[in-house]
Amino acid sequence: MVTPPRPWLHGFLDLCLLAMLRERPDYGYGLAQRLAAAGVADVPGGTLYPALLRLEQQGWVEPSWHPSESGPRRKYYAVTESGQATLNAQAAEWHRFRDGIDQLVAAGAPR
Amino acid sequence: MTPDSPRPNPHGGAGPSGGAGPSGGAGPASGWADRFADELLRLGVQPPRARRLAEETTQQAAECATAPDALFGPAHLYARHLITELNTAALNPTALNPTAFNPTALNPAVPKAGAGPSGGAIDPGDVRLRLTGVGKRYRRRTIFAGVNLTVRAGEVAAIVGANGCGKSTLLRICASLTRPSSGTVQRTRRVGFVPQDGGTAGWLTADEHFTLFGAAAGVAPRRARSTGEHLAGRLAWRPSRDQLTQHLSGGTRQKLNLVLGELHSPDLLLLDEPYQGFDQGTYLSFWQQILAWRDAGKAVVVVTHLLHDLQHVNQVHDLGATA
Amino acid sequence: MTALVVAALSAREVGRRRVALALMVTLPLWFYLLRRSAEGQSVRMLALGMAWAVSALTLFVVNAARGVDPRLRLTGASTLAVIGGRLLALTAGGIALAAAYWALVVADQRPERPWAAALMMALTAVVAAPLGSLIAALLPRELEGALALLSICAVQMLADPPTLVAHLMPFWSLRELGTYVIDGADAGYLWRALLHAALTWLICAGGTYALFAWRLRLPRYPEP
Repeated sequence: MVTPPRPWLHGFLDLCLLAMLRERPDYGYGLAQRLAAAGVADVPGGTLYPALLRLEQQGWVEPSWHPSESGPRRKYYAVTESGQATLNAQAAEWHRFRDGIDQLVAAGAPR
Repeated sequence: MTPDSPRPNPHGGAGPSGGAGPSGGAGPASGWADRFADELLRLGVQPPRARRLAEETTQQAAECATAPDALFGPAHLYARHLITELNTAALNPTALNPTAFNPTALNPAVPKAGAGPSGGAIDPGDVRLRLTGVGKRYRRRTIFAGVNLTVRAGEVAAIVGANGCGKSTLLRICASLTRPSSGTVQRTRRVGFVPQDGGTAGWLTADEHFTLFGAAAGVAPRRARSTGEHLAGRLAWRPSRDQLTQHLSGGTRQKLNLVLGELHSPDLLLLDEPYQGFDQGTYLSFWQQILAWRDAGKAVVVVTHLLHDLQHVNQVHDLGATA
Repeated sequence: MTALVVAALSAREVGRRRVALALMVTLPLWFYLLRRSAEGQSVRMLALGMAWAVSALTLFVVNAARGVDPRLRLTGASTLAVIGGRLLALTAGGIALAAAYWALVVADQRPERPWAAALMMALTAVVAAPLGSLIAALLPRELEGALALLSICAVQMLADPPTLVAHLMPFWSLRELGTYVIDGADAGYLWRALLHAALTWLICAGGTYALFAWRLRLPRYPEP
């Protein structure tokens, strides 16, 4: 189980979700499992689903309902064009941020 | 939600039983969905949308093969959380907004890491305000009763509730401008109070207000003026030297009110919907200002009816729920 | 210190209300001109007009500060500084007005005792300001306050001098002083007038302070 300090994730959850949905459309529970499998975070439902609704509300993802083999139908999300643009911008931001942090961490590390 | 998340907690009266009772649903899941939808309605969500959100939330729980209360917690709390989250999007319409990448801006609980499971690194601040069983009656009418509220240094508390439930009265009691009919108040001495409107002199300029309020706090005129201008600058406002307060726009007058509230650097700030007339940009910098106060170790109590404010606060006191 | 700042800013506030100020400055003049033919009456009417103008202005200034005063108290000012400062400003303004009208009276009427005329004018201002603030403290709304002030001045003007009612009016001292100034009456008039004015001032200023001390009281909450 990976539980990074929550505030880290909060800023980047949108980025992670958009990136995963660009790879392939998915539904909530599937996304949670992928996040956990990637070692990013074990995102609780109370954080994940509001985030998805928010993305939908902003027009960055588009929902569609699909039946599942077992149990209820699922709401799949796919990235829209504006979501794609947001993702690119956020990814660039993320790289800048990561490089900056890397630099700071490396600078102070004992050799 | 992780335990250290800033989920607005109703302080005092509204416990997990605050939502509607079991409303005759078929099972525990539909009871939860009903309570969830009820709370959404109470928060001002349109009925069709509330129904849709409740349905979706139930389905999400089913998709995880979990009971909704196990996945999302108490229905009414999750409803507030969801609305807050959705309104965050409305507040920051573009993800390129730097606050989206500023974890502290989104997570007011960060400085209070002690609450999390990672162990108490930082002690919670000193108590700046404590209300115990505070009530107010006007003649026979009870406005509110049994209000308990504790606000510590470095915390932002919001008082919410419908019109006429006594939010402003409660804030005036905190300020000691109104006497409570029952209960006790403990409060730090240095307090700044920003009323909803009024509280300024129409025929004086902003600078003269700084001088006046500075004098009240025992600050020399020159220093009071420079402090006031500096604080105004943080709200993106440059007071003009000869403009009378009565000629200021409503939003600018509220900025003056805010500056006057903090001119003497109080430990506790009491704000009564201070953003009336603010444009979007000012509104955001106002909240930045509140967060800056919080980070500087001040305690802030803000009366509000705007739900998207609640993402920034450490605790929410729903006055309607205890009345 | 705080009182002086409050006074200076109150004076500036009033100074900016040009029309109100002009009306206040000229009001006693109409009183005076209407009775100019009767020497003694004209000076008394002038003083009464001044009394009305100064007290009405004080009433409005004190009422206008109703929103600011509690905040000043919360910020740390004492009631005495806040209310005292405003009274100080309006008394000073009233005395300036008194000086101007004294010059007019001296030039126009050549009264027997010009220094006593000066005292009469100054005393009018000194008594009128706390009367206005007392009414403001009793009647928080401007319309009610202005009507009450109008009644007082009407009774003052119309009451028969020897009656008890006339003696109880706040500006009875002006009538007595007027007699001393113009008719050359004995010093008893002067002392009675001074005593009455002093008593009136104490009642009005003390009452104002007591009412505002109560209205602007801040219960001391214990520290948590």
